[in-house]
Amino acid sequence: MKRTVARLLTVLGLLLLIAGCTTVKPWDRDLLAQKRMSFNPTPMLQAIDEHIYFSKEASMGGIGVGGGGCGCN
Amino acid sequence: MAGPPEKRPTVVRDALHTAALALLLVPATVQAADSEAGDKIDLTWLQYGEQSRTRIAEPVVRFTHLMPDGQSFSAQLGIDIITGASPTGALPSGQVQTHTTPSGRVVTSPPGQIPTAPFQDHRLSLDADWKRPLGRLVITTLGGHVSREKDYQSLGANGEVSVDVWHRMMTLTAGGSINHDSVFPVGGTPAGLSDGTILHSSANAKRVGNIFFGASRILSRKWMAGVTGSRTFESGYLTEPYKLVSVMNDNGQPISELTDKRPSIRNRTSLLFSSVYHLTDDVLYNSYRYYTDSWKVRSHTLEIRYRHQLDTDTYIEPLLRFYTQSAASFYTVGLHDGAPLPDFASSDYRLGRLQTITLGATYGFAFDDNPGNWVVRAEYIRQAGDSSPPGAVGIQRGFDLAPPVNIYAIVVGYTFKY
Amino acid sequence: MASPCSVLVDTDERDEAEALLAIAEMEVRRIEEKFSRYRRGNVVDGINRSDGVPVEVDPETALLIEYAAACYRMSGGMFDITSGALRRVWKFDGSSRVPGPTAVRECLRHVGWQRVEWTNPVLTLPRGMEIDLGGIGKEYAVDRAAARISERTRSSFVVNFGGDLYVSGTRRGGRTWGVGIDDPDRAGESALIRLDVTSGGIATSGDARRFVTWRGKRLGHILNPRTGWPIEGAPRSVTVAGPTCIEAGTLSTLAYLQGSGARSYLEQQAVQFWIV
Repeated sequence: MKRTVARLLTVLGLLLLIAGCTTVKPWDRDLLAQKRMSFNPTPMLQAIDEHIYFSKEASMGGIGVGGGGCGCN
Repeated sequence: MAGPPEKRPTVVRDALHTAALALLLVPATVQAADSEAGDKIDLTWLQYGEQSRTRIAEPVVRFTHLMPDGQSFSAQLGIDIITGASPTGALPSGQVQTHTTPSGRVVTSPPGQIPTAPFQDHRLSLDADWKRPLGRLVITTLGGHVSREKDYQSLGANGEVSVDVWHRMMTLTAGGSINHDSVFPVGGTPAGLSDGTILHSSANAKRVGNIFFGASRILSRKWMAGVTGSRTFESGYLTEPYKLVSVMNDNGQPISELTDKRPSIRNRTSLLFSSVYHLTDDVLYNSYRYYTDSWKVRSHTLEIRYRHQLDTDTYIEPLLRFYTQSAASFYTVGLHDGAPLPDFASSDYRLGRLQTITLGATYGFAFDDNPGNWVVRAEYIRQAGDSSPPGAVGIQRGFDLAPPVNIYAIVVGYTFKY
Repeated sequence: MASPCSVLVDTDERDEAEALLAIAEMEVRRIEEKFSRYRRGNVVDGINRSDGVPVEVDPETALLIEYAAACYRMSGGMFDITSGALRRVWKFDGSSRVPGPTAVRECLRHVGWQRVEWTNPVLTLPRGMEIDLGGIGKEYAVDRAAARISERTRSSFVVNFGGDLYVSGTRRGGRTWGVGIDDPDRAGESALIRLDVTSGGIATSGDARRFVTWRGKRLGHILNPRTGWPIEGAPRSVTVAGPTCIEAGTLSTLAYLQGSGARSYLEQQAVQFWIV
């Protein structure tokens, strides 16, 4: 069951990457150029949230790790 | 014969040419003075509180120096001031229970309630990183981390490379980190699954290695999405030295306590899907993370944020997060008196079955006469587990073994560029 | 800049092209950071918040203001960098919302370069007024980026920021660069007119992207600073060629400001132009 879920998600991830091959022209990247169009627009807040959840839950990370450990889990 | 003044058309073209020449012949030195370099300071303060439990105050200051060629250096100092109480892992009893903390304090727990132990700690952390673009398509980052608290020390280094490919439609990222941590419990290291006999007073090593790969791409003019997969390998002392596991009799009454014991290896895997979608004016952020590890914990995290821009510097962003996890293989409500001891056991609720739900909002704003940007975030987090799990027997069936915990977290941040 | 930007270089060296693009990008960002009216804390923002207090500007800003002042004189007051204040009552979002005459009149009290005191390098902007260098900023950025690229290469190149461009010279083999002018009704699709350009600047003024519909008429976003209303009778799109991008841009704006007289105005200037 666990293997299936992991495999399914990996396939989904690959599909997402390959699907739809039309290039978005440079002049159509106006919206994408905005600062808020980012996976992590507020890194300081994100780091705080990650630290909170790391100490309250068993899971870890997802986004590239940069910080360090603590005795909180 | 005087012609009409400036308004005669043919004069304009020549006058413009003269004016343009004057404008464009700016000496190179004039421009070099105001190139793009700059410094930035980020200040944040977290105020965190759990109902009747832990309270944390955490100020952080970060300084960034950006150079004209795109390189940047950053240094961050953070302080955590932690006080409060947290569950020991022991079960509630029909009578009053007493417990001695590692620092020697004696604490009493009322009947029927989960025993908690008070604690107090300060943590100091220092982070530095160096980001360097190589050409237009590649960015490399190197970072280091040092932190120290009363019973824990962490030293780490991390690195990351990201490359833009396919007409800059896709970004591939790869990175990793290594951490060398040290755990030195107050009062010495107790033996696992024992009555607390101290084995030694020296530090225990814990090594953590992590690698991750990510790919993100533009799906349309308004939409970008990405996937990141990461693997973490932990080895060494992974036990929580202050946590306890109760031993109960046939009636569910706890009669003694043993120390927590966890495996010395933990391998984690996570897969994160993220999406950023631009609506007419607002932006929708979604992410889903699937996590599993060698302790058999599995979790799903779903987060949704909606950013509504009010004007150039002002926005409001509500957020919603759902989290659910399944218990570790050695998680137990309590051991049974007389039964053989398992290899590993822990009653730490954070390794049990639990769900967390977060409701929050972020408000970003700025003051007219002030060049900095402010941000305020308020979150309400509610964590709940199995009130009466299958392992609860006898009198334990009458107790709420995982009452919901209400948590608030308020962050205030200020960013200033100069 | 909120416009697509590109640099074309006639070379076989990919590294050279990448390096030149990086230079152009840095220069454009520098200019945008410095002169955009949307960035808080920059030069223009400081001037717009000065609240009547005299501001001493740096040499580059002074040169731009001198240029804007010269354009004001040459156009009989029609080209006016203080007309940005009219943005407070005009929102060009494609709808038919149009401000009333009282609102426009009230706003006009804060418009007019004649109300500004400019003694190089000190600028005194009365309270409530603002300057907007958006009308010349883009073309200026094109010329500046082109200048930086010229310092580094002999290859022929084109710097193009959203339709305002500069061509440095002919390509290898004497061939010319091909430039297309958009059909204003179908922005982004195939070009209406194709030009072959040997060298110089080309700029376009028009209503393709920002406009308001009123009584069936399409009103472009360039406002007459005297009346406070968009120019009526202006052509959909005016493209002008000149020795530099900024000259081309200023002429196309000045022509557009003539409304229905755009064509005859440009004919009298004896410049190359295309009106759609």
